[in-house]
Amino acid sequence: MSSDRSVTDQPRISIIERKIPFYLISRHILRGNKWTLSLVILLMSVAFINLIFINSLFNGIVLASDEQVIATTSGNVTMQTTPGQMFIPNAPEVVKKIDSTPGVVAASARTLVPAGLVYNGIQGSFQIMAIQPSEERNTTNISKKMLSGAYLSDSDTDSIVIGRQIAGGKGVEMNATSFKGAKVGDKVLFTMNGQSKLLRIKGIFYTKYFEADRQAFISNATLDAMQPSYGDVATTVIVKTDKKGDENQVIKGLRKALPGGQFITWKAASGLMKSVTSSFLTINALLTTVGFIIAAVVIFIIIYVDISNKRRQIGIFRAIGIKSYLVGSTYILQSTIYSMVGVAIGSAIFFAIIIPYFKLHPFKIPLGDVSLYVDYVDFLWRAIVVIVVSILAGMLPAILATRKPILDEIAGR
Amino acid sequence: MVETTEIITVKDLVKTYHLGEVDVPALRGVSLHIKNSDFLVITGRNGSGKSTLLHQLGLLDRPDSGELLLEGEDVTLMHEKKRTSLRLRYLGYIFQEFALADELTALENVMLPAMMIDSVSTCRTRALAVLELVGLKGLEHHQPNRLSGGEQQKVAIARSLINDPVVLFADEPTANLDSIAATEVMSLFTSLNTEHDRTVVMITHEQEETRLGNRFIRLADGVIVDEQ
Repeated sequence: MSSDRSVTDQPRISIIERKIPFYLISRHILRGNKWTLSLVILLMSVAFINLIFINSLFNGIVLASDEQVIATTSGNVTMQTTPGQMFIPNAPEVVKKIDSTPGVVAASARTLVPAGLVYNGIQGSFQIMAIQPSEERNTTNISKKMLSGAYLSDSDTDSIVIGRQIAGGKGVEMNATSFKGAKVGDKVLFTMNGQSKLLRIKGIFYTKYFEADRQAFISNATLDAMQPSYGDVATTVIVKTDKKGDENQVIKGLRKALPGGQFITWKAASGLMKSVTSSFLTINALLTTVGFIIAAVVIFIIIYVDISNKRRQIGIFRAIGIKSYLVGSTYILQSTIYSMVGVAIGSAIFFAIIIPYFKLHPFKIPLGDVSLYVDYVDFLWRAIVVIVVSILAGMLPAILATRKPILDEIAGR
Repeated sequence: MVETTEIITVKDLVKTYHLGEVDVPALRGVSLHIKNSDFLVITGRNGSGKSTLLHQLGLLDRPDSGELLLEGEDVTLMHEKKRTSLRLRYLGYIFQEFALADELTALENVMLPAMMIDSVSTCRTRALAVLELVGLKGLEHHQPNRLSGGEQQKVAIARSLINDPVVLFADEPTANLDSIAATEVMSLFTSLNTEHDRTVVMITHEQEETRLGNRFIRLADGVIVDEQ
């Protein structure tokens, strides 16, 4: 009966026995309770979606904020006055040189006007800029964001365009400090250095970025007519480049074209928004950490409950000679499969349903419309980390279960 | 005629369970010899130590003292990996409550221990043969929940036979069966012992079943009080 074996034979680890975990898990998936399996995979999917949704939302907020800052306020690059100077002299010539620098799409000189506006007895102190509308049209997108009326033209001398937060009205976020319902065609009193002029509201724009919508624009022609001394000067020149991300390269070219010019990137110019986005990134990192902990705990509980329900079977398997590491590997393999399927289904739901939904119905926040933005490298890392965390979460109860005495396992002690 | 050799030697085996601060002696110096082709029936009251003895013989637990020799080799303090290998290749164990994996069919339950050693196709062929031997031909693809208690116990017996063990241990194998199924299962053990030269060590409470073995011991309070 046992002629080919001896009690003193050393146990071997063979390749053949390694099929056991795969065999057991395939039967478990095929024949186990389908509702339980579906619920477990759904939980894994939700845990993964939670991780990528929060991240993509914060990425979307940061991206929307960056794009709004560039498109409405600072351009990709801003040229400032040099220390000690109040103005950039010879602005039209400067704009010309900037325009001809490689990587530059357009540039617009802006002059911050120290003026006040009065409308229906309401006096407001807003940021008023004098611009060359034709330059501004090519550099920012404000001209395309007209809520009512029209944008300025270069020849306008008695018109002003104002942002929605200045015009005010029902439902406007900053209505309390606005003109509380100014409309296109209404007149506002423009006062500067003791000189006043009634300007017609030609248009009201709405970029959805609160800082931009608290601005008002007049043409250089209007300013020249009232204060010829401003002539060819500007306080900033904003520059639109052909690609976001290559600003430092463009600045090198600008410094060659305009030695001594003070150029900063939109990131440096964004000021308040820089600290807002930095806070978002910190919150994102915190929520990500919490998300990973939640995912790990969920996976651990799933595997632990599953193993607890199968302790007797684990004991029986060990009693009939199935090696402990194979029994343990079955549960580690199970958590690996659950997490991989969870990640796959979570990704499918995220890309096929959630992202398209938020593209159609973006979050409306005072920085602009925010949809989800996926950083694919980050996404891949999160998927890998979820799978690794799942394997570790499955490993612990599996090791604990296979280290107990066989009889305790069978008796469920 | 099969040559009679000693397979298992038990020397002065002692096992005490510690339940909180209370010590419960389960085996108090049991010594025993089991030869090949023996059909040893162990009986005794609840708490007499018979299951504890079978657990020791089946290498499912370790004694506090004493020696257990398998074919002359001391396995008492043997490393767990080696004891697992012996349980797989040398010993077959049948539990009272069938102890089958619910998600596996009868065939797959039987194949499982063999899959530690052989390819799936070889295991399948062997498992089909063993299932036929225990009278379950035609029920190979049924999961345990579609089998009667007697059929489930036969699957467990087939599983214990798949790796051609030296000795079969059965812990009250008919305790959860009706009388007809119990008779069938006992016939199977008798046949395995007499026609297939299997060594069988079985615990039972049933007086009738004690007569089926060719050896008999009765335990009381952790010691052998009767041996025939």
